[in-house]
Amino acid sequence: MEYLIEAFGDSIELIFSFDREIYGIVGRSLVFSLTATFLAALFGVPIGFLVGTKRFRGRSGLLTVMNTLMALPTVVVGLLAYGFFSRRAPLGFLDLLFSPTAVIIGEFILSLPIIANLTVSAVQAVDSRAILTAKSLGAGRALMTWTILMEARFSLLAAIIAGFGRAVSEVGSAMMLGGNIRFYTRTMTTAIALETSKGEFGFGLALGFFLLLVVFSINILFHFLQVRGR
Amino acid sequence: MNEIGEMVQLELRNVTHRYNGKMVLDIPHLSIQRGKIYGVVGPNGSGKTTLLSIMNLLIRPTRGQLFFEGKPIHNEDDSRLEIQRSMAMTLQTPYLFNTTVEGNVAYGLRARGIPRRNRAAVIEDALHQVGLRGLTNRRARELSGGEAQLVAIARALAVDPKILFLDEPTANVDLRHIGQLEEIVSAINADRGTTIVLTTHNLPQAYRLAHHVFPLFEGRMVPSTMHNLFGGTIKASADGPYFDTGKIQIWIPQEFSSSPSNYISVNPEDIIVSKEPFASSARNRYEGTITQVVDQKGRVDLVVNAGETFRVQITEHSFRRMGLNVGSRIYVTFKATSVHLL
Repeated sequence: MEYLIEAFGDSIELIFSFDREIYGIVGRSLVFSLTATFLAALFGVPIGFLVGTKRFRGRSGLLTVMNTLMALPTVVVGLLAYGFFSRRAPLGFLDLLFSPTAVIIGEFILSLPIIANLTVSAVQAVDSRAILTAKSLGAGRALMTWTILMEARFSLLAAIIAGFGRAVSEVGSAMMLGGNIRFYTRTMTTAIALETSKGEFGFGLALGFFLLLVVFSINILFHFLQVRGR
Repeated sequence: MNEIGEMVQLELRNVTHRYNGKMVLDIPHLSIQRGKIYGVVGPNGSGKTTLLSIMNLLIRPTRGQLFFEGKPIHNEDDSRLEIQRSMAMTLQTPYLFNTTVEGNVAYGLRARGIPRRNRAAVIEDALHQVGLRGLTNRRARELSGGEAQLVAIARALAVDPKILFLDEPTANVDLRHIGQLEEIVSAINADRGTTIVLTTHNLPQAYRLAHHVFPLFEGRMVPSTMHNLFGGTIKASADGPYFDTGKIQIWIPQEFSSSPSNYISVNPEDIIVSKEPFASSARNRYEGTITQVVDQKGRVDLVVNAGETFRVQITEHSFRRMGLNVGSRIYVTFKATSVHLL
């Protein structure tokens, strides 16, 4: 118990002493995750919109694949991406392995199915009368698309937030693709794993508080948007 | 123009529509003239909304051709969209976009590429017409059912449509707003000359508002109104064919004897009301009691229980002269030729 109290004290001290390394890791994690989420939204929302609103051959198979990808283990993503980015791999010439770009790509791959799938649900939940009303008022294709997205905006934001949640909290691919390099690719999750294994429990706990704070904020925002969307 | 010089704005020729293989609409011919109000009446499931959706180009009929201002409407998306933009429709349960009243009323203007600076006056005018001036910044989802219907009408009016389709405009509206809505519909037609096609299951309302009333039954336009609609079977007798409703027998013309129809209707205007039986060529006469009196501004609708429930329409003058009231015993009389098969 004394060990825990001591670690807790250390973590509080690190947080309030504005430890440069801790805040650097938190800032880096947020930059990586926000960039990955932004890119995943850029691709995921249009993909989800098309799958959610169009009828085409193979659609149900595609939905099954998308649903399966939501549960993709993070280490598998790390493993596959490692296979492409390592020096002798097809994309080895890009020299991306153990770089922030590789971490962002890994997080992007993890967030994309979440955002795309939740976008499918969001656009399908839009009242069919919205489409009929838009049509009856002479909306063309572009305005119709915009209208559906706007009517689903709270659910879409929730989808993007869920994607961010997945990106910020994953550890497997960031560890494998980023290499957990200090002041370069080290994120909150990889740092927690490393510092705890080194016995620096207080350091890990301080980062854990920040991670919890981010996840808690995401949930509050998620709940708020769900209420607004009703 | 038609033969009497009235401009035909929209015309349907041999339009049929099937849903899941079942025929839901069969309109051999229908023309909508500029500046008139049309009331499509019929029970639920009679095809009213399908008819409106086809006329508003929201759905393509299975077969048949539509003409707009004399020109055939083709299937190309661009040309349909252009014609669609000269019309507007409100749904039975209006959908308001999740934004302000102003955002909703501006929607059709945005669709037509009207610049933002030119929208304000049009929005104000449309809201003024429906009596909702001052509600511009209210959240649309906070409105009552009646207010929502009025905003939907204002939204449709803002694009200054040549034809306005109103699907059951008073179906989800509280009593306080029904009269107001009816006045607004008449005013839109009178002030703007907008052609209006509305659906309703309320026949008196259709007659109050419309210049022409089309009864629709099981997807087909029928020659009489939906009142005095009886189900039963056609039977033969030595005196000729009759329709057996299970409660009364109604004499029908000889030519209907081999029809498989299970429904007939009698136009309320074709029924004669008298306090005593009188000698005439009319074969159908039933004694009954008045159970309801409905004042229709100059006309009076009587509901008479005479074995079956009949709706009869007489002038206010006749009503007063005969001293009728609820509970009065009367005779309803009509000819066999007044009976329509459905």
